[in-house]
Amino acid sequence: MPLRKRIYETRREKRETKNSKLKTDLKLETSNSATNSGAFVLFPLGAKRFALPAAMVAELARPDKLQSFPHTTPLLAGVLVRRGRIVPVFDIARALMGPQAPARKFYLIATRKFHHANEWTAIPVSGECILHNAQPVAPTEGLPDYVTGLLSLENEIIEIIDLEKLAAAEAAHAC
Amino acid sequence: MRIGKIERHGSKCARSSEAVILFAVGGHRFAIAAAAVEEIRNREGLLPASPGLPSASANAPKIKNILLRDSRTYCVVEAALCLGLPESRPSRLLLLRDLRSHDSRLALSIDSIDRMAELAVLHPLPDAFQGEERMWYRGLALVGDEVIPVLNPAALLDAEELAALPTAKSVAGSNALKGIASA
Repeated sequence: MPLRKRIYETRREKRETKNSKLKTDLKLETSNSATNSGAFVLFPLGAKRFALPAAMVAELARPDKLQSFPHTTPLLAGVLVRRGRIVPVFDIARALMGPQAPARKFYLIATRKFHHANEWTAIPVSGECILHNAQPVAPTEGLPDYVTGLLSLENEIIEIIDLEKLAAAEAAHAC
Repeated sequence: MRIGKIERHGSKCARSSEAVILFAVGGHRFAIAAAAVEEIRNREGLLPASPGLPSASANAPKIKNILLRDSRTYCVVEAALCLGLPESRPSRLLLLRDLRSHDSRLALSIDSIDRMAELAVLHPLPDAFQGEERMWYRGLALVGDEVIPVLNPAALLDAEELAALPTAKSVAGSNALKGIASA
């Protein structure tokens, strides 16, 4: 193989290895995955688990000091300071679980897209999260719009949540 | 009674830093640009405001009092009501510099003054905040480990509310009528 091609191949392999690492503390649960399955992060809110597309999740953060100030946006509990960045805390537990939402212990740092830029958002969760590959199925009739799919595990059905649709639903409800 | 006049920070400040005043309202800390504040004083000498002035709600007028000072009328805006906080026990007034061409000026009624600080970086309010706070705040400041919203004084009252404010002339006329009545 010519030298230039060898150098290119080596660099391409290094780049692919670097991009495939998920910079989190998440446990990796291997499963037999179909070629078209997606990667999801499963997060607990009490006894129930929900899922977000893994591409949206940046990391899982330990408990941090929540700071609040007056505002009128539904579901925002306040902000965290993370690595010098001010991260809004989007407390979806109340919307998903109602007033009986369990105590939140960690923050799942996800990205939300606003206009043309992505922004970190911290989602309080009640336990550790798991990365899981699975083929989602369409949501059943009667589920809220923000449930965009379902994951079928052994004895569990997990709802895949669309954060933007959830935020829009709560804003409409608040009006 | 005057407590302190704020000296305007001009070209001596570095471009990247801004002097701010930290103050408290309803258990929360806020900041406001020192350049926006003309004077800090206590609440002595306040007069009751007339009905028909801007209200946060039907029963919670944003402006309860006015202050006559140096031939100017300051309409005292209750910061707690503007920010959706429960009514508190204000003890200080921030007399604001004239940000718009208007006969009336505003004074912000707050609970207490904390201190002054130098603001090196003003962080934008995250896009996740999509309510009225986008008008209330210019951004967020990190003072130590604390996140403090920086108030936008131009957003205390909207254009319609500003137009409804009493002018110095109308207040003087009202006081003159009262004088005739009492005589």
